[in-house]
Amino acid sequence: MKHEAFPLPLDATPADAQTVEKLRRLLEQERRARRDAEAIAERGLRELYESQVRLALLQRITDFANQSNDFGAVLDMALKEICVHMGWDFANAIRVAEGGREAVACNTWYAADPKRLFPFVEVSREFTVPRGEGLPGRVLRDDHPHWIDDIADEAWFHRRREALQAKLLSACAFPISVGEEMVAIIEFFSSKPMVDKDNILLTITQAGTQVGRVIERERARAALLHDALHDAMTGLPNRVLLDERCRAAFQHLPADRTGLAIMVIDLDGFKAINDKYGHHAGDALLVDVTGRFEAAIVAFQQSSGRAGHATLARVGGDEFVVLLDGLPDPEAAERLAALLHDVLRAPTQVDNDLVNAGASIGIAYSGPVYDDVEQIRRDADLAMYEAKGEGSGRTVTFTDALGTEARNRMALERELREAIRDKQFVLFYQPIFALGGDRRLMGYEALIRWQHPTRGLIDPGAFLPAAEESGLIVFIGDWVLRQACTALARLHARMPKGSGEPPFISINIAPQQFLQPSFAQQIQRVLAETGVPPDCVRLEVTEGVAIIDADRTRQVLEEIRDWGVRTSLDDFGTGYSSLSYLQNLPFDTLKIDRSFVASIDDPKSRNIVRAILDLAGSLNLSVVAEGIESQDQGRTLIEMGCEYGQGFHLGVPLDEKAAFALVDERRAA
Amino acid sequence: MKGVIFNLLEDAVSAEHGAEAWADLLDLAALDGSYFSLGSYPDAELLAIVDHASIMLAAPPAQILRWFGQRAIPLLAERFPPLFGHHKSARSFILSVNDMIHPEVRKLYAGAACPRFHFHDTDDGRLAMAYQSRRQLCHLAHGFIDGAAAHYGEAITVDHLACTHHGDPVCRLALGWHG
Repeated sequence: MKHEAFPLPLDATPADAQTVEKLRRLLEQERRARRDAEAIAERGLRELYESQVRLALLQRITDFANQSNDFGAVLDMALKEICVHMGWDFANAIRVAEGGREAVACNTWYAADPKRLFPFVEVSREFTVPRGEGLPGRVLRDDHPHWIDDIADEAWFHRRREALQAKLLSACAFPISVGEEMVAIIEFFSSKPMVDKDNILLTITQAGTQVGRVIERERARAALLHDALHDAMTGLPNRVLLDERCRAAFQHLPADRTGLAIMVIDLDGFKAINDKYGHHAGDALLVDVTGRFEAAIVAFQQSSGRAGHATLARVGGDEFVVLLDGLPDPEAAERLAALLHDVLRAPTQVDNDLVNAGASIGIAYSGPVYDDVEQIRRDADLAMYEAKGEGSGRTVTFTDALGTEARNRMALERELREAIRDKQFVLFYQPIFALGGDRRLMGYEALIRWQHPTRGLIDPGAFLPAAEESGLIVFIGDWVLRQACTALARLHARMPKGSGEPPFISINIAPQQFLQPSFAQQIQRVLAETGVPPDCVRLEVTEGVAIIDADRTRQVLEEIRDWGVRTSLDDFGTGYSSLSYLQNLPFDTLKIDRSFVASIDDPKSRNIVRAILDLAGSLNLSVVAEGIESQDQGRTLIEMGCEYGQGFHLGVPLDEKAAFALVDERRAA
Repeated sequence: MKGVIFNLLEDAVSAEHGAEAWADLLDLAALDGSYFSLGSYPDAELLAIVDHASIMLAAPPAQILRWFGQRAIPLLAERFPPLFGHHKSARSFILSVNDMIHPEVRKLYAGAACPRFHFHDTDDGRLAMAYQSRRQLCHLAHGFIDGAAAHYGEAITVDHLACTHHGDPVCRLALGWHG
């Protein structure tokens, strides 16, 4: 703006004119300086104002976003706040769907004047556009904001007619991204021009970041939840999620509680593969097996239209569970089990070897007898153990009989624990004699009995299998060992010195007990504590220990024999009776099984006994015949050259007092 | 009243009547006349200047204010081009006063007491504009409308349907477009 020169008085001199002109220039300079200063101040004030208002807006959105876990609610709030802040008419949220191929309006919108905008809201709140089409489609395609300055000019804009009806003029749309991924688009419409685009861009981009954080948190939470409910290695549901699904499925059963089955799957030989090839191989096997099981389940569900719903879960090291609900027929679970066995037939490559992992499967069906799903789980578990007992690759479906048997076994197991705790076991001693000549008493075999509080004295055959199965045999075996040695020490103590060769004690050792890593030390400790001469202790083992781990069996036998302890191979002739065991394992004695003695009248049995005696002779082993029940049997064995024997005919098992009294009788005789 | 209004008035007066005229008006009104655009000054100072201009030019203050409004528009367009550039017509420009122009004013001049206008279409197709302010500067608004019409090359007649100067509770202006 130019200002007119001040008019000069008529009598002004040229010098006056010059002075006025100078002052005019100075004034003009000052005026310009002031204008510049004002412009700078205005710019600063405008920026300050805008950033304050923007920050206040962002603060509101951020606060809300931080308090809410609901992406929809946060979007809703942000749309409204931005619209009001900008003085715009309409805002709308569109979710990115189909992996970024589509933009889907999600009925989240704000309208300043809903009545006027009604037709536009109607076409905007729910629609789907492919990538590249319409305003949100373009944002999705280009991953940057889009602007429309005059909707009337943009024929490509789908909702143009309705927008113009609503007197909308301008629009803009922005992506909301989480990391690299666009998750939503927000679009805004105004009946006025959108002027300050830099400011709008800055504001909405920052607001979008805050809104995106909700999704980020939503995803982090979902990931945590997923991790908490799934097995990390296979990605399958874990025990927690399975429990939840089981409970939910059980609750939805009809009144007769049919239609659900639980299948417990245990991989056979997994531990051996893990031990042999290492954990990485075991893990790879589990992942491979998981893939096969999943494929089998898909095939199962496709095989019939109404195959129900199946959840495969990994609940332990090598244990899987399938929850089947909505079962079409009573045999469906067995069909799936057969498919699962099938898919395991092809070997898995582990390192450079091919290994086979079979499975044992137990199935239990729901029914009116069940009060909760846990009981079904337990029964399926029980059936699985039953299947495992039958060998690899079996399926067993739970039945009431199985349940009764298992319950009895469990009750027995419980009683055995009480028996160990309350010291209800007693040892009986059966004398072992030299068969020839004076029938000298050589020693005793310690035999366990259970002094049951209500059922009286129980023979070992009635409880040792259960003890072995439950692992309690280890505790019982330790007790027998210590008890027998202590008793022998008492016997030795009351025998006068120089009264001849002291009797030995023969103690049965169960395979599980023998294979305890600390077994040899345990023997050593008992010997030291009881003070019995090691050569008066005979440990009887069966071939079973050698079958499980021949190398270790040999090492242990050698170690305890080094201390002078004697070793017997029990029940010889009944199992594999492998000659290689006899050759490789250090035994002192063979015990001929009672079954050969009982049928010794049969020439076949006699031949076997003779062969055993020959074998023992050539390997320099002594022989004890078990179960001699008649004079004839004893005589036949003597004739065949069997040195030692035990049995009812010679002496029944007796309690300690009666058994050890025999020593005195002998001496007295 | 914001200093920028005084600056605009000074520019308008100086352009039309010479720099001396502004100095004379200040002298007559006994004002020191240093107005900084972002500063705030008593409304009475503006009214005093208008009154003295009215005496000097032998014209009613309403006419002075209308003249000022008319002349201020090109000066404003020079200072704040974006406020004008985004509109293609005077109608759109006038309608943006509440939502765009005054918000911009408030950004620069914290606490500026901007009036609010209410617009509606009248039955005869004109645009009615209601105005209520203790400053009663409806004639200045009239002048702004004249200036906007000139800026966009349009012809607008403004009828004062009601006026607070005549005891009405609000001022209502009817804007009619021609051609």
